Order: sequence, then structure tokens, then C-alpha cells
Amino acid sequence: MKFPKAGAVLALTAVSWANLVAQAPPNRSTRSLPEGAGREVTQRVCGATCHGPDTIMGKGRSREQWTAVVNAMVARGAKATDAELVQIAEYLTARLGPNAVTEAPPARGSRSAPVAGRGPGPLGAGAANSHVVDDAGAERGKAVYTAECITCHGMNGRGGNETLPAGQRGPDLVRSVLVLHDRYGNEIGPFLAKDHPLRSGRKGSSLSKEQVSDLAHFLHQTVYYTLRSGPMLKVQNILTGDPKAGAAYFNGEGKCNTCHSPSGDLAGIGKKYDPPTLQTKFLFPRSVGFGRAGARTAVAKPVTVSVTLADGSVTEGVLERLDDFYVSLRDAQGQYKSFKITPQVKVVKNDPYAMHVTMLDQYTDKNIHDIVAYLESLQ
Amino acid sequence: MKLTKLVTQPLLGLAVVGSGLLSQAMEPAKVSGPPKDAWPMTIGDYSGRRFSTLAQINDANVNSLSLAWVYRTNSGSGFTSSIKATPVLVDGILYFSVPDKVWAVDARTGHEVWNFTWTSTGGIHIGSRGVAISGNSLYFETPDCHLVALNTKDGKERWRSSICDLDQMYFGSAAPLVINNHIIAGVSGDDLDTPGYIESHDPESGKLQWRWYAHPQPGEPEAKTWPSTEAMLHGGGMTWGAYAYDPELNLLYFGTGNPQPVIAGKGREGDNLYTESIIALNPDTGKLAWYFQVSPHDTHDWDGVEAPVLIDGEIDGKPRKLLAQASRNGYFFVLDRTNGKNILSKTFAKANWAKGLDAKGQPIPNPDKMPQIDGVLVSPNQAGAANWPPPSFSPLTGLFYVNATDAYSVYYIYDNDIKPEGWGGNDHGGWSQSALRAIDYKTGEIKWSHTWEGSGGPRSGVLSTAGNLVFAADSSSNFVALDAVKGQPLWHTNLGAGMSNSPMTYELDGTQFLVVAAGDTLFGFAMLAK
Repeated sequence: MKFPKAGAVLALTAVSWANLVAQAPPNRSTRSLPEGAGREVTQRVCGATCHGPDTIMGKGRSREQWTAVVNAMVARGAKATDAELVQIAEYLTARLGPNAVTEAPPARGSRSAPVAGRGPGPLGAGAANSHVVDDAGAERGKAVYTAECITCHGMNGRGGNETLPAGQRGPDLVRSVLVLHDRYGNEIGPFLAKDHPLRSGRKGSSLSKEQVSDLAHFLHQTVYYTLRSGPMLKVQNILTGDPKAGAAYFNGEGKCNTCHSPSGDLAGIGKKYDPPTLQTKFLFPRSVGFGRAGARTAVAKPVTVSVTLADGSVTEGVLERLDDFYVSLRDAQGQYKSFKITPQVKVVKNDPYAMHVTMLDQYTDKNIHDIVAYLESLQ
Repeated sequence: MKLTKLVTQPLLGLAVVGSGLLSQAMEPAKVSGPPKDAWPMTIGDYSGRRFSTLAQINDANVNSLSLAWVYRTNSGSGFTSSIKATPVLVDGILYFSVPDKVWAVDARTGHEVWNFTWTSTGGIHIGSRGVAISGNSLYFETPDCHLVALNTKDGKERWRSSICDLDQMYFGSAAPLVINNHIIAGVSGDDLDTPGYIESHDPESGKLQWRWYAHPQPGEPEAKTWPSTEAMLHGGGMTWGAYAYDPELNLLYFGTGNPQPVIAGKGREGDNLYTESIIALNPDTGKLAWYFQVSPHDTHDWDGVEAPVLIDGEIDGKPRKLLAQASRNGYFFVLDRTNGKNILSKTFAKANWAKGLDAKGQPIPNPDKMPQIDGVLVSPNQAGAANWPPPSFSPLTGLFYVNATDAYSVYYIYDNDIKPEGWGGNDHGGWSQSALRAIDYKTGEIKWSHTWEGSGGPRSGVLSTAGNLVFAADSSSNFVALDAVKGQPLWHTNLGAGMSNSPMTYELDGTQFLVVAAGDTLFGFAMLAK
């Protein structure tokens, strides 16, 4: 990696750049989730085995992104009811969504400390005193980047591509240790001031303090967006299948028409849900999901169970819990009951989605995309 | 200060009489385990088998097990307070950790001796997987990238040493391992494209002795498994799993994590060595002895860091020094640990991502099952067929016990750039079902499988003992003892929260104890009735 030669006298010393740096925010391990409906259930379910609050403090995930996160966690063993999962997804969207307001970042050129907010990475990655991004500053910084940096460092700051002459192939700025160590321009500023060439032909030292500060916000925002919660990090176009082949599979090999009908339960399903939701829901019916207008997908049908005791008496209901030793259920009246499991006790579980589980071993990926294209066509 | 060396027993030690209740089919075996009154390292002994020769608690009397004591750490709201560490037992004291906290607790009574709190400057607080003890020092890692030494007597800090850079999104979570005058410490981090490494520190001063990077050097033949030096030097391969050691061969063993960028592999064509590999290093020099890659060109976040288990076994009637791993990608591997040569590669859970095995015994990834823009159905899911909760091997039954998960999810590419960074995709949705499985290490055959009801099964570590017992957890917060030969549950107790670590056992004053954690609480069970 070639650096431009240090030549001119620094317009600004590192010390004065450091003055832009805020004092350290409070220790992040003491951070807690924002207040709001659903906070408690989120804390209980998500904190049960795996995470600290900083794990989910990343700001800016959309409802779609948070829902995907929640469903992925269920598959990894998070224990919650359907209603609780929806509550969690809604809470995260409201409190940690793209429009959520966390504590204000420092004002432009301000010397006051950022309290917390969009600093450390979305999983709590990074230092507690990480650069906290001011989104407005980052927006202005993007203009500086586009005007002065984009030719050598690339559209996304990932470095110049190989078609550029070596002298113009700037390094990857997302992976730059100098950028990562920077706080509010205290490293980037002095570096640019060492006669770093700009696209306009000017020298880096000609950038104003505000421009450098904005550029720093933009570069740090780019780093955070590269982690796990940038606005671009979501499912793209998945409508690649053939609706006709999907229909054929639905009515043929897949035997979907045994339980489902395009004019019955699936009427207008393509209007209700976007393709990624359709794909997740038909593969994994127990996922929670949201439709095109934020409409909830249908609540998953519960697993039912029948328990036959040694005396021949049968109790049926919605399965509450089952392990090797006890089974518990709620009967038709909503009464909770539990039974000890012995060799004389017969427990029969009925999962209405058992066939969906069986099918996971049978679908090809082409089948899956064809089915989604077919479901999407049911407008 | 003079270091007292840890008691290291040869892997094959004294003959131990079994419980007398073992099946007739079982060959009386010569077995060893940790000393009766100690559990000197998180992994039990250097073999990482997590097998105990104790048989006072056995298949005939396990129903008389009593709760002897409970220690609540009260270390928080459930966030970051979950005890993932298997306690270490030295001189009657249990030592264990959660992120930023360490405790010393009386192993007989559960009484707190001291606790230590670290003031954090950041890092991901996902877990602390244990401490290491050598002489009068205790060593642990912090999320904010430090290896710290405490005095075992009072928990006062001796020294701290930096092991990584928080600004590059590294963090610390692994349990260090002491090998003679080396403290082996690995690093975690999966958010930016940075190289993984493992290093060794001086036990007295904390000074760095050597560092081994999980990538070849430019110009070496293995460097050809990357498209460019830049990709290679930002290629991941973190070292956050369990480590093992063979004193006779003087080799340190561990697995490396996924390559980076994690999901979108477009910018790193090739096998991406030494990510996703089982590695053998000389602990005195940090020099590579051999490697075996479990997931060439991984694009599913299937870190190959699952605990390596050293088995002194027999293959085709000849005694062999083996290493076994039940890997996150769904394959059970057995290698010759003298040279890394493959003996066995076989799935132990659903796995639909490979086209077969190559000449070295490594799975060949199917390009059709790599993440796609429109999604691809893959088993296992991102959490894997197995994960960090450690398995166990019983030399008495010859079985390798692991909590196995059959799972599906859909993997998507989000970032179609020619140079993706970070993750660039993820998996969505999913179905999973877990079972405790007993694998014959000679054939890979599953001798028995005990399914745990409920989806998204337990993250269960395992302990096996000479009492013909295997201890594990189910999906309903039960701590369960199963018959080691037949696999049926014999005893259970509900801990009120899912087991969060791996159980351990010891005998003090003639009483065998069994210690397990659930959430922020440590439970001590014992055979109190005589």
C-alpha cells in the first residue's frame, strides 16, 4: 500500500484534531435497551442464553430485517410464543429501526461527549468510545467523498479496482486501520493534510475542518453499514422462478393441493405478502412475518397432543410442553394440565405442519423458487 | 515466583475398575481422566475428552443424587451473565467466569471465596468460555481484548496484556490453555475482514512469546488458495474454540473459524487456508506441524472451532493416536493426530451442502448450495449441526457423545458487489431438531440417538463418566443423566433455565460432586447418602 509522501506543513496538528474528539461515552456493558412496549419480553427471550444488550443495539434495521433476525433466532433455540415474537419484532422496529432516535450525536465540531448511540458496531463490536455517526454529517461527507475520493477509492470505499493505473488505485478504506482508529477526524484529518491528492487536483490540506469531520462521519457510517445492519443488507430480488412450473409442482409432485387451494386459503396471497415473506413462510410456517402493508402473516397453528393414561382416559389439547418426563397441555376450556410420562402413558403429538418439515428433505431449490413465483401470481 | 507445573497425566494411565455394571460386551479398558479431586482445566484434561473415571455416581444409584449447594452470581439481568464456562477445580476451589467477571467458589459448599470485576472498554459480550490456572495464577480473556492474570489467593490482578484491536472489531471470549510456560490465547471477531490468529504469552510477565496467523505467508503454496494477498490478509479464521494438547507429541490442537467475508465468498475464490481447519502447532515456537481443512471455501459461517477430542484408540486392530471433531458443518472427522491424515469423514446430522469427499477426506462444497441472491435451502443452518458446547468421549464405551442438530435455513446473498465485505448475506428462517448422539469413533456409525422434544434444541455440552453415565441437557431446561451404552434417560432435574455450560465432576472427602450452570447460577449436586 503506497501512501502519498508527507510534504507540506500540517495545516492542523494532531492535537487540534484531537480536540474534536469527545470524551469516552459510558461503559457500554452497562448500556440497556431503550424503553418501550415489548422491552421486557425482548430482554427475557433474547437475553436468556446468548446476548448482551449491545448485541442488538444496532440502529437502523427495518421491520423486514428485524423480522428476519427474530426468525433466525427461533431457529437457533430462542424460546417464545408466536405473540411474543411479534411483540419483539415490533419493539425492535419501533425502538431500533431506521427512524428510531437514539441519543443525539455531537453537533458539528462540538466538543461535548456523545452519550451513546450509533457508535459501536451493530453487535456491540468495537470499542466503547467508538466514533458515533451523525447521519446528517455523513450525508454531507458523502458529497465530499464523491467529489474528491471516489475515483481512487471506489464507489463503496472498498478500494480502486484493478483497471485503474497503480498510482490511482487507492486502498480499501473500510478495512483501513487508520480509519478504524480514527475518532471524528483526528486521524483522517492529519493524514489528508500531508498533501494527500484529491480528485479536484487540490491538496488534502485544503479541506476545511467541517469537511474532514463530515468525511469522517461518512467513512465510519460506511464501516458500520458493512457490518451486519446496513440498510442495503437485505434480501434482493428473489422472483427468479417459473410460476407455471410452480403450479405444476403445487398440484403434482409437491401435493400442496392436498391441504391448500389457490381460490381458498391462498386466494390473493401474492397481494398480501412480498416474495421474501412468501418464501420464508411456506418453507417454515412457524416463522413470524409481515405483509406488504405491515399486515401480520396468519398466526401459526399450534401443535396439539392427546394423552392416554393407563386407565384408558384421554385428554386432548394444545401442547404446552413436552419432554422425556412430563407432558403439559391446555384443554378446550383453556385449563392447564400436566401428566407424568410412564411406559403405560401414550402421548400422540399432532403438528399441523409436519408435512412442511418432511418436504424440507425433498424440495429442490428450483421447486422453491417456482413455488414462490406461483404464489406471487395469486393476486 | 516459582510455577508449579500442572499435574499432567499421560493420556493412557492406570487401569480403573468400572462400575461393574458395564455391559458384558465392553472390553475392560485402561482409562485415565483428570485427577479425582481436581478438574485442572476447562476441558478436564489435555485430551479434551471430558470423561471422568469417577463412578460413585453411577447408573444404579443416580436417582439418589442430591442438590448439595447453589451459587447465584447475581451478575445481571440475564444479559451477558450466562455462565458458559466449565469451572476449573484446583485445591478445593472452583474458578469460573462470565464476560468481565471471575469467581472463586468453595467446591464443597458453594461459598464465595472472592470475585473480580473488570472495567470494560467495549467488545462483544457474547460469552466467556472459562479460565486457566497455573501455580498461583488464573488467566482469562476479556471482551475488550485483554488476557488478564489474577492471583488465585485473593483475585487481585497480576498483569494485563493486550491480545487484539477493538477498533478492528476483534474481541476475547475463549478459555486460555496453559502448556508448560505458555499461556495459549485465541481471538474472536466476525464483523470486519480481519485475519484470525492464536498467540502465546509468558505466564509471569504476560509478554507475547509468539503469534500464529490463520493464513499462509505470501509465496507459500497454500497462498494459492486465495485470489490475492489482500483477500488472504483479511480472510478471518478466528480461534475462539477449545484447545487440546498431546504432551508426548508436544502438539497443540485447535480449530479455526469461518473465512471472511462470511457469507458472500465472491471476492475470495479458493479453499481459503487456514480457515475452517484443524491445526496442530508446536506450542514452544508457534510453528505449524499440520492442518486438515473441514470446510474448504466455507460460505455458511460454520466455524470449524468445535472442541478437538484426543482419542488413544484402535483402527484396524492397531493402536493409533487420534483426534476427533464433530464439526459445525455436520461432519464427524477422525484424524491421525501425529500427521493430520484423515481416517474417517462421515455426517452425523443432516448436511446437504457437499458433493462428496476429496482425496484428503475433506468435503467438497457444492457451488449450488452456496448462498444465492434468490435464496438456497441448506442444512445445517448457521448455528450448525454442532457448535461450541463441547462433546465427550468415553474410553469405556468407545463412544463419542455430541449434541447434534438437524436443521435447515435459507441462505441469501445481499451484496452482489465484485468485492463484498463483512457478511454480505445471511440465512433466514429455519427448522431444527436436536438429539444427543453416540458415535462409534472407528466407523462413524451412530450407535444411538436420543431426540430432544421441542424445536431449536439445547446448546448442550456433555460429560461422560465411568459410572456408565452421560450428562447433557434437553430443550426444556432439564439436566439429564443417560445410560452411556443404551442412551435412555435415567435421571433428570429441572434447572429453571437451559444448561449454559458443560458439566464437570470431582470427588472431595469421599463425596462425588457434579457441577453444572444454568444462566447465572451454578448448581452443585452430590451423592450425599452413604
